[in-house]
Amino acid sequence: MPTVKINGQEVVVPDGVNMIEAAAQLGVEIPHYCYHPHLSIAGNCRMCLVDIEAGGRGPDIACNMKARDGLAIRTDTAQVKQMRKSVMEFLLANHPLDCPICDQAGECRLQDYYMDYGQYESRLVDAKVAKPKRQDIGDHIVLDSERCVACSRCVRFGDEVTKTGELRLFNRTDHTEIGIFPGERLKHQYQGVLADICPVGALTNKDFRFAKRVWYLKETESVCNGCATGCNIFVCHENGGVFRYLPRRNDAVNKSWMCDVGRADYAEVNSTRRMARAQVGGKPVTVDAAVQAALNLLRSGDPAQVAVVFGAQATNEANFGLLRIVQDLLPRASIYICEGNNPGASAYHDQLLVSPDKNPNSVGARVIAATKGDVGSRSDLIAGLKGGSIKVLLVLEDDVLGRLKLDSQGARIVYVGAWRNDTAAAAEVVLPAAHSVEQDGSFTNADGRAQRLRRSVLPLGDSLPAWQLLDKLAAAMGRPLGFSMGAVAFKRLAEGVPAFAGLSYQSLGGGGAALPKSALSDSETFPTEAVTTQMRLNASV
Amino acid sequence: MEPRILTARWNVPDVHNIDTAMRHGAWRALPMALKRAPADVTNEVKNSGLRGRGGAGFPTGMKWTFVPPVEKRGGKPVYLVCNADESEPGTFKDRYLMWKDPHMFVEGCVISAYATGAERVYIYLRGEFAFIQRRVDAAIAQARAKGFIGKNILGSGANIEVYTHLGAGAYICGEETALLSSLEGGRGQPKLKPPFPAVEGAWRCPTIVNNVETMAAVTWILEHGAAEYRKFGTEKSPGTKLFSCSGHIRKPGVYEVALGYPMTSLIENECGGLYPGRTLKAVIPGGSSVPIMTPEEVSKSTMDYESINTVAGSYLGSGGLIVMDDTTDLVDSLTNLLRFYAHESCGQCTPCREGCGWMFKVLQRVKSGEATDLDLATLKDLADNIFGRTICFFGPSAAMPVQSFLKKFPDEFFGRVHRTGQVSYANIGAAAPAAR
Repeated sequence: MPTVKINGQEVVVPDGVNMIEAAAQLGVEIPHYCYHPHLSIAGNCRMCLVDIEAGGRGPDIACNMKARDGLAIRTDTAQVKQMRKSVMEFLLANHPLDCPICDQAGECRLQDYYMDYGQYESRLVDAKVAKPKRQDIGDHIVLDSERCVACSRCVRFGDEVTKTGELRLFNRTDHTEIGIFPGERLKHQYQGVLADICPVGALTNKDFRFAKRVWYLKETESVCNGCATGCNIFVCHENGGVFRYLPRRNDAVNKSWMCDVGRADYAEVNSTRRMARAQVGGKPVTVDAAVQAALNLLRSGDPAQVAVVFGAQATNEANFGLLRIVQDLLPRASIYICEGNNPGASAYHDQLLVSPDKNPNSVGARVIAATKGDVGSRSDLIAGLKGGSIKVLLVLEDDVLGRLKLDSQGARIVYVGAWRNDTAAAAEVVLPAAHSVEQDGSFTNADGRAQRLRRSVLPLGDSLPAWQLLDKLAAAMGRPLGFSMGAVAFKRLAEGVPAFAGLSYQSLGGGGAALPKSALSDSETFPTEAVTTQMRLNASV
Repeated sequence: MEPRILTARWNVPDVHNIDTAMRHGAWRALPMALKRAPADVTNEVKNSGLRGRGGAGFPTGMKWTFVPPVEKRGGKPVYLVCNADESEPGTFKDRYLMWKDPHMFVEGCVISAYATGAERVYIYLRGEFAFIQRRVDAAIAQARAKGFIGKNILGSGANIEVYTHLGAGAYICGEETALLSSLEGGRGQPKLKPPFPAVEGAWRCPTIVNNVETMAAVTWILEHGAAEYRKFGTEKSPGTKLFSCSGHIRKPGVYEVALGYPMTSLIENECGGLYPGRTLKAVIPGGSSVPIMTPEEVSKSTMDYESINTVAGSYLGSGGLIVMDDTTDLVDSLTNLLRFYAHESCGQCTPCREGCGWMFKVLQRVKSGEATDLDLATLKDLADNIFGRTICFFGPSAAMPVQSFLKKFPDEFFGRVHRTGQVSYANIGAAAPAAR
């Protein structure tokens, strides 16, 4: 733990951090383009040049300067200001003035740093170097070489993280440009990250090009629901419309990355696959009417012939609501978890981020269901349905019939879910659940980390968070759960399930909290198939 | 007396063949070195005061001691890399050295490898030196046949292999870390320091990079001893050095003189003086990258690392002496130099990548008379903003000519631009006319 001095102020920093990170601890910003905390040091942008007061010779770049005892730097001298200004002048010398049509405008480091550290009169009277624009280099990415500042972040990402190395630097001097070999295209599933880490508008996401000016967008912290990894994301939305997901840094989960499949999921929020209305017998009704119909159905026959399926696609709160309903109101019902992925789920997975388990909350559902004990498996469920011992099926979110490739076998189904699928089609009663970005809640990822969802936009149509629908159902059955809001539901969960003991939305914070390993020991049962790529989260960079 | 250390065998016919070379004294130093401990060999070189001949003038023996000791290497090998990229404009000594007497330099490589504990020597030649590579390869093969290279050399137990590697002809690959990047098979781009190559160089192993001429000098030092070597040159710059002399002189060529030799004598005697009726206008003493010198500075300077720096703020560099007489258009010369730098910048770090091209564009306008004095101030600023702020020494190498041409010959530039009156001598880094 070395002690360094920044602008005269001492700070103790962890071993091995560089001076950009050390300064950040004191709230001192050292501007930079090429440095990225999860990539190797390139040191080429020269924006982080600082003066060295003691412990070395300066000026030098802060990104390649490991904190060590006795090192003292200054970022507030006239020379540092002049150096930043001159680097800005060099970077912009050949940069096109197409901010008005550039998607990066508003979140562009050239713009931001020009306002903070540039602000000079242009001295350039010569023609700028022209480079290729609008190059189609991958399924998701467009490259504009003129806008590039050659920071090489994208090259390093391909070399160090995905290890596919498609992008390279070509040519020299002010003709230097990022490029891809002739006939090649980006071939990894993390192309969107290239646009994220590009500090300027050189790499833009096809999906987001010309879609929205970024300054209109609000960003809400949430978690991707695409797979069991639970990448931390920002949901970028305006006026109830979701425009994109961006990865949110969480070193314990996704570093600064997310996959393209998850990134594309934002478009599903308002898709026609969503169910906006409650249904009884295939006809739209109010939610309250559907709740009443569900109640009647659950109470219609032998209580022992009711089966309840917990949802790996549903939040911890909803699964806990279901647990409470089972415990308090349907004590004789059998409970199940139906392992597997919904039909139509992406088959892609790797060892970097994308899990073969496409359910965001498999672990949470399992841990919560296990509190009751005696959880039936997928095959038990098939046996129960085919054998006729299950007459009424209460399903939370997961497309059980689709997964089992079965019809209802005569069972009558209450489905609490967001999507049109085989289960919804066969259900007698459908309660429309909100999308994960439309509710407060939490998921527990494959590593047993509980992470918060925050409501970004209002639920579609009549849909409500599943925990709220279950609260209504429980209330109709005479024992309301008292889930007035997500935080309360989670508080009850923390009280009711030992694995979550002591946790709250406050303690989950932005990065989530790991459940005790002991609570997870018997829950790692998702079948992992052969790994399709060799990508790994590279811990050394 | 004209010292003949490096050039002793240059005029011997057929000396590139090992038998001829050995008849004239080649491969005598290696057996002598192998009888001594590696640290002892390093000490001999240290005591000789030999300084790197590639341009920076760093003491060679000291550089060798920067290699971490075996126990701290973690099983990594040490590499010796010989920088035979010689791409500095105005410098052409190494190509003659390798062509005329390849055995002297190959012998030096083997001795240096023995001293530093390297078992592999890579000789990195620029792409244009393919014909020299063939000659060096032949010398290596002959030396291997005689048992000077390979396993258990002369029964000493030392195993040393020597390979040549041809670059693709980029100026930047003469910079030691860019050379290593290129040698590794990557794009020829300089690497960040620290780590320094002696600690973490080629393939992240300890690597010593030495110039061709340095290697040749090592051979002589090991044969004759450090004390003999110190009889030449000055206290701080011992020995002799090859100078590549070009420009407006009657006898351009490579000359070996003892360090500390007066610059005027070199021009007048070895180089045969200027053409009749011409007067000296300027000299670039150490290859195109170093600051230019005025005739007055030339008359006061001697050819060694200290004098040129003290008198003229310039550097001995690689010893590429470019002499310019009064017919030279310095604006044209500088534009030509910047054309080179604007073409050769590796494009890695911002100031050099964008600045060299920009300076060249400004200079083109100055040359064609389309510029104003404001452009000269911009030029000076751009050079200042590149100097000292880049990954490697290329940036300063491009900036120093601009800074020094403007500082020492301001009127040449002011005379070519439209005067707005807003730019003073001080604005381009020069002293006002009266004071000069």
